Amino acid sequence: MKKRFLLPLFALLSAILTAPARAQDGATTANWPSYGGTDFAWRYSALDQINTSNVKKLVPVWQFQTGDYTQGLQSTPIVIDGVLYLSTTHSQVFALDAVTGKMLWQYKYPMPRGAGGNIQNRGLAVGGGKVYVGTYDDYVVAIDQKTGAEAWKVAIADSSQCGCSITSAPLLVKDKVVVGIAGGDSAFRGFITAMDAKTGRLAWRFYTIPAPGEKGNETWKGDSWKYGGGATWMTGSFDPALNLVYWGTGNAASDMYAGDRYSGEGEGANLYTGSVVALDADTGKLKWYYQEIPKDVWDYDSAYECLLIDRQVRGVLRKLLVHINKSGYAWVLDRTNGEFLGAYPIVDNHTWLTGMTEDGKILGRIEPVEDKPTLICPGPDGGKSWNQVAYSPRTGLMYTPTLEICSDSVAREQTPVEGRGFLGGTWSHRGPANGPAYSHIDAYDPVTGKRVWSMRYKYALLASMLTTAGDLVFTGDPEGNFFALDARTGQKLWSFQTGAGHRGSAISYSVNGRQFIATPTGWGSIAGRALTSIWPEAENFRLGSTLMVFALPEDTK
Amino acid sequence: MRARILLLLSLAPVAAFPQNAPALMSRGLDVYNKSCATGYCHGVKGTPGGAPRLAARGFDDAYISQTVRNGIPGTGMPAFGATLDRADLLAVIAYVDSLNGVTPPPNPFAMQPEPRKLPPDAQHGRQLFAEQVRGFQRCSTCHRVDGIGIAVALPFSSVPENVAALRALATPQVETATAQGDSFPVLPLNKVGPQVKLYDLKTLPPVERSFAKGEVTFKEGSNWRHEAMLAGYTDQDLDAILAFLRAVVKP
Repeated sequence: MKKRFLLPLFALLSAILTAPARAQDGATTANWPSYGGTDFAWRYSALDQINTSNVKKLVPVWQFQTGDYTQGLQSTPIVIDGVLYLSTTHSQVFALDAVTGKMLWQYKYPMPRGAGGNIQNRGLAVGGGKVYVGTYDDYVVAIDQKTGAEAWKVAIADSSQCGCSITSAPLLVKDKVVVGIAGGDSAFRGFITAMDAKTGRLAWRFYTIPAPGEKGNETWKGDSWKYGGGATWMTGSFDPALNLVYWGTGNAASDMYAGDRYSGEGEGANLYTGSVVALDADTGKLKWYYQEIPKDVWDYDSAYECLLIDRQVRGVLRKLLVHINKSGYAWVLDRTNGEFLGAYPIVDNHTWLTGMTEDGKILGRIEPVEDKPTLICPGPDGGKSWNQVAYSPRTGLMYTPTLEICSDSVAREQTPVEGRGFLGGTWSHRGPANGPAYSHIDAYDPVTGKRVWSMRYKYALLASMLTTAGDLVFTGDPEGNFFALDARTGQKLWSFQTGAGHRGSAISYSVNGRQFIATPTGWGSIAGRALTSIWPEAENFRLGSTLMVFALPEDTK
Repeated sequence: MRARILLLLSLAPVAAFPQNAPALMSRGLDVYNKSCATGYCHGVKGTPGGAPRLAARGFDDAYISQTVRNGIPGTGMPAFGATLDRADLLAVIAYVDSLNGVTPPPNPFAMQPEPRKLPPDAQHGRQLFAEQVRGFQRCSTCHRVDGIGIAVALPFSSVPENVAALRALATPQVETATAQGDSFPVLPLNKVGPQVKLYDLKTLPPVERSFAKGEVTFKEGSNWRHEAMLAGYTDQDLDAILAFLRAVVKP
């Protein structure tokens, strides 16, 4: 049950890995052009001025306070040619001089009055002279990159009806801007929308739940497909060579009760929720899908990032997609066709299943029931939250922020009302059966799931990972520490108290030959508050919304 | 005295609501469990979850009622006044009252005005007006009324007499713009600048676009037709939608 390897033969064969080829595909250099660094989502910078031998000299060089602090700062900044673009929770956008922090322009989205709920914004797309941002009330806005003036905006859903909102960064794919949407805990039908980047006109829309007459609809009982969830609430990836856009799809709804939606017909269950979908970038047509969590009753939400790497598997170089969802497992897929190549646990506690077959079928499901609480690990917070992994082609390792938080879950039949909460149950947070909740940062061989090193932490780590060619891993914790680890050993080499908890995604960039590390700081968010039921002292993790930027002192060479 | 009590004078009790305290509390508990006690929010019986503890906080009825109805802007607490029906709203307030030792009023349902109720055909029309499965081929893509829809068009000032008139509706306000080598139907928002603003109607949903003055020219008339937007609706559908509009549009 706690086996590290579900597929020992597979693990053995792929242990004879050689150095990864085409190593630089997903690396950033001076710029940090895209949400995941590049569209391959590595969060890896090829800059190495800051490295394991000098990182202890790192000092703050500027900081920028956005003033939009009530929900923390979850963003990933974008840097292009010495200008840093930053979005905040209420979809304010700032353009800053990346060397000094001087504000060049500010765009203030007119958020509707009384907008409450879980307001978040996790980032931007920048390119072709425009900055793209999504809003809580479902607008996509294009802003002039030079002036900060609005160029176009369009409502891709009616927020007064759908119970949905845009929280993730758009992805710029050639001449289109592609956006996912949150709302899978409401009675809602998920989609991915692409607009012409220049005009904002609709280019295509892909619904994550097929309509009657479309293949896959037979996996839904009756009308349940109308409100079946499948939110697309994090940013996908893009492989230009294959012309495919990859996106994770969230949990089926209602989250914890499947009796009204599981038809038992067709391949898979409740398609295409709990899946990775590969879409033609020009048309939005489904090229392939892989369903990780058929008939999800745990809110296991496969909406997270798609890591695109090329690595040897059983002696053959393959184009891979490595994907983690809330279940605490990582899936390894062939990204040309969706073939299942393996899966491995990244959490210590995974009680929702007893194992997996060689072709990826889940065995021994433990599901929430209606009459009594069931201990399920991971809980709906996930074995990993949305905060993202990083991958270094130098070490060949994937760095993961992992949570060991479980739940006592109860399912409850619920009648959907469009746009309103549709959880189909309730749960309380708790630790695993044998002790308190905790979290850890690990380094994995992303193909075999071999854990190379691990760093344990007493609270939940909810900030993304950044790794660099200086063989460093950067991230922050909720107590306000921003720190650097040796990418090969996990040894802590440097730490700085930034004053507020970390919930965002750090980046690296350079201007005129000087390397910078920038991190958002500021605690907040629904998951952040949820921690108080496990750790009462989490009440005291400090809110904020500040970007802090570090570099080596100018005289360090 | 609480403001709610004053309303008592003018209103009659409503039979469909639970009339006694145990029934009220049981309904409140049910609503609480479905809407409030989820893992991301408050815990069971008012224990802390993702959101703060609610039990034994010394909250009074006025605060609880206000917060449940209006939410707390800038936090995760939504305005349930907008989403819960009246009976559920009052029941859940009474339940949270009870967690704080506040005795709920004996029959709170009697103290609130009955919300406007649409006749069945108008209710059906409201659903068709904004029906999600139609994608963008629905009225609410461009019209906002009764709290739903995107306000691209101006608010309704009148309702067409019948389905034929609705389909054939003249739209002289839609013009033809030419910009960046492209001609397309638009609903102008601001033609004088310095930023010219318009809704681009070439595709659905309409896009609000901005241009520098002189970058765009306008011509009266267009090939855009309201009828084309209604192609997905049957005459029967549109009859119901007109019934909805007649019920909610004040001329």
